Amino acid sequence: MQLYLPIAEIPVNIFVIFGMGGAVGFLSGLFGIGGGFLLTPLLIFSGIPPAVSVATVTTQVVASSASAVVTYWRRKAIDFKLASMLLIGGVVGSLFGVILFDVLQSIGQLDLVISLSYVTFLGAIGSLMFVESVRAIRRRKSGAAVSARRPGQHNWIHGLPFKMRFRQSRLYVSVLPILALGGIIGFLGTVLGIGGGFMMVPALIYLLRVPTSVVIGTSLFQILFTMSAATIFHAIGNQTVDIVLAMTLMIGGVIGAQFGARMGQNLRGDQLRLLLALLVLLVGMRFAVELLLTPEDLYSAIPSRA
Amino acid sequence: MIVHIATLLVLAASLVCSQARAEELVTSLSSNMVSIQSNFTGTEIVVFGQIIRDAHTVARPGNYDLAIAIEGPKQDVTTRRKKRFLGVWINRYYEMFKGVPSFYALATTKRAGELGDRSILDENGIGLNHLNLPVSGHSRVPLSDRDDFRKAFLRLRQEEGLYSERPETIEFLTATMFRTSIPLPANIPVGNYKVKSYLFQDGILLSKQEAELAVAKIGFEQLTYNLAQNQPFIYGLMAVLIAIFTGWLAGVIFRKD
Repeated sequence: MQLYLPIAEIPVNIFVIFGMGGAVGFLSGLFGIGGGFLLTPLLIFSGIPPAVSVATVTTQVVASSASAVVTYWRRKAIDFKLASMLLIGGVVGSLFGVILFDVLQSIGQLDLVISLSYVTFLGAIGSLMFVESVRAIRRRKSGAAVSARRPGQHNWIHGLPFKMRFRQSRLYVSVLPILALGGIIGFLGTVLGIGGGFMMVPALIYLLRVPTSVVIGTSLFQILFTMSAATIFHAIGNQTVDIVLAMTLMIGGVIGAQFGARMGQNLRGDQLRLLLALLVLLVGMRFAVELLLTPEDLYSAIPSRA
Repeated sequence: MIVHIATLLVLAASLVCSQARAEELVTSLSSNMVSIQSNFTGTEIVVFGQIIRDAHTVARPGNYDLAIAIEGPKQDVTTRRKKRFLGVWINRYYEMFKGVPSFYALATTKRAGELGDRSILDENGIGLNHLNLPVSGHSRVPLSDRDDFRKAFLRLRQEEGLYSERPETIEFLTATMFRTSIPLPANIPVGNYKVKSYLFQDGILLSKQEAELAVAKIGFEQLTYNLAQNQPFIYGLMAVLIAIFTGWLAGVIFRKD
């Protein structure tokens, strides 16, 4: 069934879009991720204009994180103070992201920057996750003890000024790295159409040493509001949020996520992380191939916005 | 039914304005408005017409030729060319075509180039090779490459279905009555269109005529689009609230604990 998208101004097969939302939702439920980094490329590769894909996925990420936040809120597994600090950084980063997005679009380099960023970030994070999960699987097989959080251990981040106490996370750290982390992820999320949970969670654990019990809830809470801001900024700055496309993706996504989450309970954490790492690397490689191979058509013709 | 009504309209109109010139062209569209709704996957516009000769005109030997062009609202289109830079393909040169039709579909009785003199075709923009495609002054494209950009622009627009040239698609019902149907693809831009009809004989432009056609989103599509354009903050806020509600609802429905 064909459905005309009012903002993208093209008809799409609604079942294909619904299926994409469902498939990515399934993976996001399975791995406990937002799935924006999979959904945005899928939409771009299927012919939706990149500007509309990125902006619309920010809306879909709001829905998928809202769905998960409900659960973590009920379990009281959110550090609201830490989330608010991340959020301040996130909203500022997101604002800069939309401005850059607009500039890149007008000089015709948006697609390039999106592709290059995907290659860089997905490549780097995929490789790190791959190495980490392979090590974890080996350790488990050889029966060595898994290193837990060591509260006494300090790194360079703990030497920074403007310290603040976060009771729920049992942390006393500078707000600077928190604002910076929120800012960078808000910025990247807005430009690339991703929630950034797969970057936020490791950063909170390894850099700030936030306890794992609150890390996912806090990350999700911050993503929910940063992506809400990003949606509004994209709507104002670029008018590229397609609500019909977003709704279709959302419904497919939340349903798929339920099945994914159930299946995820039967798999081991390190196996899941290995699968996720491979998936991340695969998407990164798809973009790399696009950039390196000689394009079928060297020319492109894009109308200026009225 | 539509055919009959249109025919009647044509005949009625022909009675009114047959005195002016030797050969007169009268046309009528199957609809003056194309509405885009959620189920829009393209449509077609039927153009009917009649060639009217007044009583004083001697019937000329030779056949009539016709060209009917549907032109969309003007827009600026940037055409870019990729070049390899540090191993990566990036957009390097660009040429901006200013005030070119966002849509152009031409139906003719024979190939556009054979209808008449080059100067007449250029002047009226009949045929893709005769469209006026002005470029912006500040282009860095070398002069020798300008034509490549023009060709690429026309090729890309044709691939998207936005520009087309379909010779021998106007059908004569009688010696002076004709009919053609011009497809409008799903990705057709919205705005005010012009339907231009030209009558040729032996390479001479005898008459031309222009009609209006509106392409517009209606209903929910119009509402959504207008809100996104005119009230972007409210639109964005609504998108967020819908997303949060959907997510929350799913969280409640599929609650596990």
